[in-house]
Amino acid sequence: MTNTVPPTEEILLAETGSDKAPRRVSALSYFLSKLGGAAVSMAMVILLGFFAFKILPGDPVAGIARERQLSPEQIAQLRSQMGLDKPLWQQFTDYLVNVFTLNFGESYVYRTPVAELIGDYFWNTILLTGTSAVIAITLGLWLGQKAGWRPGSLFDRITSGMALVLWSVPTFWLALILLMVFGGTLQWFPTGGMTSPDPPTDPLALVLDVAAHMVLPVVTMVAVVYAQYVMVMRASLMEEKSADYLVTARAKGLRDDLVRRRHAVPNALLPAVTLMFLHIGGLIAGAVTVETVFSWPGLGKLTFEAISGPDLPLLQGTFVVFSAVIIATNLIADLIYRRLDPRVRRG
Amino acid sequence: MKGTLMPHRSGRRARRTLAVVAAAALIALPVGAAHATDTAPAVVAAEATATPEADATTFRIATSGFVDTFNPFVSIYLLPTNTIRYVYEYLVQNSAEDGSPTKGLADDWEVEDDGMTWVYTLQDDLLWSDDEPITSADVVYTYEQMMTVPELSVANGNLVSNFESVEAPDDKTVVIRLKTPQAPNPGTEVPIVPKHIWEEIDDPATYANDTDVVGSGPYVLESYSANQSITLRANPNFWQGAPKVDRIQYVYYTNSDAQVQALRAGEVDFVSGLTPTQFQALDGVEGITAHSGEGRRYHSISINVGTVTRDGQPYGTGNEALKDVNVRQALRLGTDTETLLERVMEGRATPATSFIPASFPKWALPADDDVIMAYDPEAAMAKLDEAGWVVGASGIREKDGTPLQLRLLVDADDIIEQSISEYFVPWMQEIGVGITVESTDGDTISDRAVKADYDMYFSGWSVNPDPDYQLGINLCSTLPTGTDGSGGTSQDGYCNPEFDAMYAEQRSELDEEARQQIVHDMLAMNYTDTAQIATWYPNSLEAYRSDRFTGFTLQPKDGGIIASQAGYWGFLTVEPVSAEAAQAEEGGVPTGLIVTGVIVAVLVIGGIVFVLLRRRKMADVE
Repeated sequence: MTNTVPPTEEILLAETGSDKAPRRVSALSYFLSKLGGAAVSMAMVILLGFFAFKILPGDPVAGIARERQLSPEQIAQLRSQMGLDKPLWQQFTDYLVNVFTLNFGESYVYRTPVAELIGDYFWNTILLTGTSAVIAITLGLWLGQKAGWRPGSLFDRITSGMALVLWSVPTFWLALILLMVFGGTLQWFPTGGMTSPDPPTDPLALVLDVAAHMVLPVVTMVAVVYAQYVMVMRASLMEEKSADYLVTARAKGLRDDLVRRRHAVPNALLPAVTLMFLHIGGLIAGAVTVETVFSWPGLGKLTFEAISGPDLPLLQGTFVVFSAVIIATNLIADLIYRRLDPRVRRG
Repeated sequence: MKGTLMPHRSGRRARRTLAVVAAAALIALPVGAAHATDTAPAVVAAEATATPEADATTFRIATSGFVDTFNPFVSIYLLPTNTIRYVYEYLVQNSAEDGSPTKGLADDWEVEDDGMTWVYTLQDDLLWSDDEPITSADVVYTYEQMMTVPELSVANGNLVSNFESVEAPDDKTVVIRLKTPQAPNPGTEVPIVPKHIWEEIDDPATYANDTDVVGSGPYVLESYSANQSITLRANPNFWQGAPKVDRIQYVYYTNSDAQVQALRAGEVDFVSGLTPTQFQALDGVEGITAHSGEGRRYHSISINVGTVTRDGQPYGTGNEALKDVNVRQALRLGTDTETLLERVMEGRATPATSFIPASFPKWALPADDDVIMAYDPEAAMAKLDEAGWVVGASGIREKDGTPLQLRLLVDADDIIEQSISEYFVPWMQEIGVGITVESTDGDTISDRAVKADYDMYFSGWSVNPDPDYQLGINLCSTLPTGTDGSGGTSQDGYCNPEFDAMYAEQRSELDEEARQQIVHDMLAMNYTDTAQIATWYPNSLEAYRSDRFTGFTLQPKDGGIIASQAGYWGFLTVEPVSAEAAQAEEGGVPTGLIVTGVIVAVLVIGGIVFVLLRRRKMADVE
């Protein structure tokens, strides 16, 4: 285990409890305890979603009134439209009803149901973050296992060094530099958005158009996250390197490369899988910066703009959805890990 | 590849699945990309023929503005309301010269009954963009909706609150009867909508009005894609004739630095709201003209004059010392706004005399007015001495053992406010006033401003061509009703019955010169009372592709702004420099760039796959 991966309690159990009497954790009780934990987290998120944003300074109507000449009657009309004239407990019950009907109320700014807005922007974010994740994971794992097999080699030093430098670079800064160089100066790639202002009608041209708009944001996202896969894979492989089964493999006469690929890598992948799942949720929420710089019409940008409103229903909606996705993927990670690693099943 | 996966059949299915997924991803990507390059030339051809906009001149504007709706009855955000200005003509328009009332739908108006009745005559042969005639019935319909349906009064209800009735004696005449006499022209600022479209809509209050809009202005809204683009098309039926550019397109950029890059790359033709740094960077770039225009905003330091509610109950935490007008005037005398203007704004602003910007010269208080006080720390100290504040041991003045220590709220995100406070604090120190800078976020500041939990904070408004509204929010009747600051719309918590009396007088003074004099007197009174130190009217910093477009009309015509006008003049007269120039960047991203992108991707991913495959092959050979 490396300290970059937050160990789940099962892994710890597997490691520390291995010398105790074997105790089979029943699949059902394991599942229920995980599910219960997730449910408690979700309940906390829903409570927080209301009260945390309620104590935020700034009155949405006052924000609007500063930019426009409104009479007290107009302000009162707006307040009642937004439900801000109701007592707090009633706003809270309205909120609960909205959350449980998965509707999240109506956005102050867009004047449309928040659920609809999130639905519209969700897939744009998935397209961006999904592509970045696939590339970052593939690239990171491949570089990591190469580097970990020969730690200290030139390849390892360059790979790890590069990864760590990019990992430490602020996302916002890197994104702006890329935008300036490749968008403004060289003009190789568009400076923002998901499509051209007049999207091509031909489907293939449209795909290319979107792809061109994706290059810079994807490069940014990959550059800042692939390092963690490199480091986890590298450390994990270094641990496997001295394992007995590799001696056996070598004794069979396998070439070094094959020993690494067929024997060491599959075992070393385990922590990386955990890491992948733990980060899927974070990926969706983590696109805020990149989406903001590259004007990508996704959930991150939606959240960013909701804060400056403040568009409370939209903020609450994205907050609850982001949290739900993270809680769900963590739950799935726990469950899958149990399938993947038998040690979790037999404490 | 024979048997490479064979040694691992011992139930490690999961791992194998993972390997397959990874491999599939690796293979699918370059295959897809390679496929894309194969067909790329065909795409270029297809695009040229498939896009109907190939011949249209499109003027692109970068924006980051919120859009609530394009429904003119309810839209309140700046971007959609500015768009609506281009879509619907008013009864009376604000002129480009100085914002004064000029010909709109109506080309003539008469004031009757000492300002109680306004009679408008519409122009001949006006047409909506769908070729239906524009008549007085449309005007009456629009005003009556706002007067009778509360949901439809959200955006502009304040403009018709003095309306008794609106009638149409014939197709070309509109009669507006008012509750009280009114000098400001009641026909301005309200977008007139087509009755034949809107009366068919079931629920006008929730109607989005964002596709194929029927309008009467120079451009009509064609389509809207949230957070992506807004497309306007020239209206051939506009009474001044169709604009020379076929389409105006707003393109979304969340980040203002990205907007600057988009202008450099030629993806957009116009950006506004630039910071001085961005402006400097664009100034002198080939093909780009950076324009600094006199805006319609004022910037000020608002002073807590000792806030009270409408019925006189004190509220808030304002320092007692500031109730004394001498102390407030001393703060003004001790503030060197000229230096601030040079150092903080790099001279890109006009010194302010009041909350009515100099870009409305008819109403703004002249800079040579008798009441104007120049920077004079000696006079400031004399004022404080006179008010009984004597210099204490620490250099801070005291009275009855209380030091003259004031709080200044500063928005931590606002570089200008921060810079000002760096100059302001030592200047105040010099005259013996201690300043505590409380740096916080903008939302907290507006919250505390409402509750009057401040001594001073930075404030500012965009002002309309007619000063009536802005004067109106300085009346005693706009003070809050609750001690938590609720129910008020007051600009600075100012209240002076004399000022109120003059307000009523100017509002019904139909002789413009006489009204102008009263307004000046009011501003002079407010200046002397010092409820705020108006620092300047900041210039609006804009930039455009002058290699492609030309012919912008400024408001005010002399040194004014292009975007965010109180009117549609800015983009009305814009025209391409030449037919070719406007076509240069048509269709957004040139396909060549897309191909470049794909080739780069193919090279990178292909390279990785190549290395992988080669290693596999070598392993198999051995």
